[in-house]
Amino acid sequence: MDTLNALMSGFAVALSLQNLLLGFVGVTLGTAVGVLPGVGPALTVALLLPATASFDPTGALIMFAGIYYGAMFGGSTTSILLNTPGESATIVTAMEGNMMAKRGRAGPALATSAIGSFVAGTIATLLLTFVSPMAVDVALKFGPTEYFAVMVLAFVTVSAVLGASPARGLASLFLGLTIGLIGLDSQTGQARFTLGIPELLDGLDVVVVAVGLFAVGETLYVATYLNRTTDTIEQMKGSIWMSKEDWKRSWKPWLRGTALGFPFGCIPAGGAEIPTFLSYATEKKLSKHPEEFGKGAIEGVAGPEAANNASASGTLMPLLTLGLPTTATAAIILAAFQQYGLQPGPLLFDTQPELIWGLIASMYIGNVILLALNLPLVGLWVKLLTIPRPLLYAGILIFATMGAYGLRNSWFDLALLYGIGVMGFVMRRYDIPVAPVLVGMILGPLSEQQFRRALAISQGDLTIFVTQPISATVLAITALVVIVPQVWRLIRRMRASAIGHESPV
Amino acid sequence: MSTHARIHPGELLISLALLALGSFVVLETQGISETQGYSQVGPRLFPYLIGTGLTLCGAWLGWQALTGGWRNVPLDDGTHAAPDRMAFVIISAGVLLHMVLIGWAGFILASTLLFVLIARGFGSTKPVRNLIIAAVLSAVVFFLFTQGLGLTLPAGPFGGA
Repeated sequence: MDTLNALMSGFAVALSLQNLLLGFVGVTLGTAVGVLPGVGPALTVALLLPATASFDPTGALIMFAGIYYGAMFGGSTTSILLNTPGESATIVTAMEGNMMAKRGRAGPALATSAIGSFVAGTIATLLLTFVSPMAVDVALKFGPTEYFAVMVLAFVTVSAVLGASPARGLASLFLGLTIGLIGLDSQTGQARFTLGIPELLDGLDVVVVAVGLFAVGETLYVATYLNRTTDTIEQMKGSIWMSKEDWKRSWKPWLRGTALGFPFGCIPAGGAEIPTFLSYATEKKLSKHPEEFGKGAIEGVAGPEAANNASASGTLMPLLTLGLPTTATAAIILAAFQQYGLQPGPLLFDTQPELIWGLIASMYIGNVILLALNLPLVGLWVKLLTIPRPLLYAGILIFATMGAYGLRNSWFDLALLYGIGVMGFVMRRYDIPVAPVLVGMILGPLSEQQFRRALAISQGDLTIFVTQPISATVLAITALVVIVPQVWRLIRRMRASAIGHESPV
Repeated sequence: MSTHARIHPGELLISLALLALGSFVVLETQGISETQGYSQVGPRLFPYLIGTGLTLCGAWLGWQALTGGWRNVPLDDGTHAAPDRMAFVIISAGVLLHMVLIGWAGFILASTLLFVLIARGFGSTKPVRNLIIAAVLSAVVFFLFTQGLGLTLPAGPFGGA
């Protein structure tokens, strides 16, 4: 069955009344929750995961994809009007878009971000449609050895390469891996690190960890440290529509942003942070108005927003074809699959084609709904920004505790939620990234399983990881991404000291 | 701002906690009985590796804390100078009370109290308004999720269940 046929049957699934409705509800909820300040896409999908639990897998995942997309759209609105980025990928948008809003150009900033996200999301979904069958062909050749190598690459990029400090990134990753150890060993069925507590036999639930870190931890942090500051919401003055000039300055950045975002989303490079910054730098270099950058240049919103959304779709590629989450949000989406006993990967394209292709088709539809929902209704979303902070966080915690308690109606999960929340608070306070915790706890058990399978095949010979060509290549890339930045930093430092002025660490 | 000249007790404490947790993982691993099954590697190898890794990270961060502080920490000293400890306590109390109450008082009552306490933690001075919003929101969420979405939540004394 070729791709187009598969996609068409996917549309047949996605356009059924029930799925269309679920998709619509998903993007609406996703936008509404994603708009709330302090709620990024990862928390949005974690909070709304329980809401999808009662539907059949296809419908639930279509709703879930809508939530993810909606959260991305909603987050941009908050960044532009409030200058509080929900996650690192929207820092650039927050900076440049907020400057535009300050100059009374909030409308065009929101418009270029929404239309750019639509363009990027649609192109990226097209790419996903036609590239993933190829990726599946490659993935089918993967054995345990190759899977393990790819997971090692993901571990290293998510923790050690990105972010301010490799030491803190790795500490966070190992914390996640430790959490992942808790529960029954998948191969021998032995209990590990359960400390005799029966509730721990199933391991820690991703929803509890994600909601604990992002909702409880963030609430504690904001209340303790940031509550004295007041946010200023930029007013929506004038027209929401972009002028001819705005269009002319936006369409190329949209396309360039998409071109940067999608490939970065596909590789395990920690999501949208790098491509958004690259896109910003590119637009600044290519712009005829470089002097406007930092003061509200429309290219500086259009490009990074497109990159951000394209990267979000790109992330789904390793997730769907390999079962490999590369961001915190992707880790939670993987948990949503696992909720239904589904393990994303090449086999899922064979066993559940209507689910996979229905999901992909729903992304095209979701993008259209989002555009229709966001531009005309932006005034409504902006109202959500005016919810007073005490009520906002109180509301978030009601949903957070409900999500944790609803899993199995046990107070123990609420105790865990609070404990992990305190951990998240400490991590936030001391600038330890939290995404590696989630990736580590999800991928840890999977990587152990693959490692042990690989050694069972090689009869205990460890060299199998470097003698198999694919695995050797991936591990070589892993080594490169660790070493190259270090060498580069060394060269720069040496050059700086050669010129005569010491670079300040 | 040469705050990094002195040792941050917090940074050192976290490093030591990571070190302790890592060592605990390594020690606890010895209690897992080694059955290999089909694989050449039993259930002990990864815990050993992960425990060791965590210990090393703790040591690394501890060393950084002692030699000028953790690297590349954003200069948030302004925000971190005056923590609102009361807010932390009230919110913690809210979450923990909710945990204790939800089983027998039911979702609506427990969540209402949670909402009021969190809002108080954030310095809201309108308890009556908050109480009304809290009760309405909790009730709406309860009926939406139990009736509409099939989630099981405890009804408590008013639920009649």
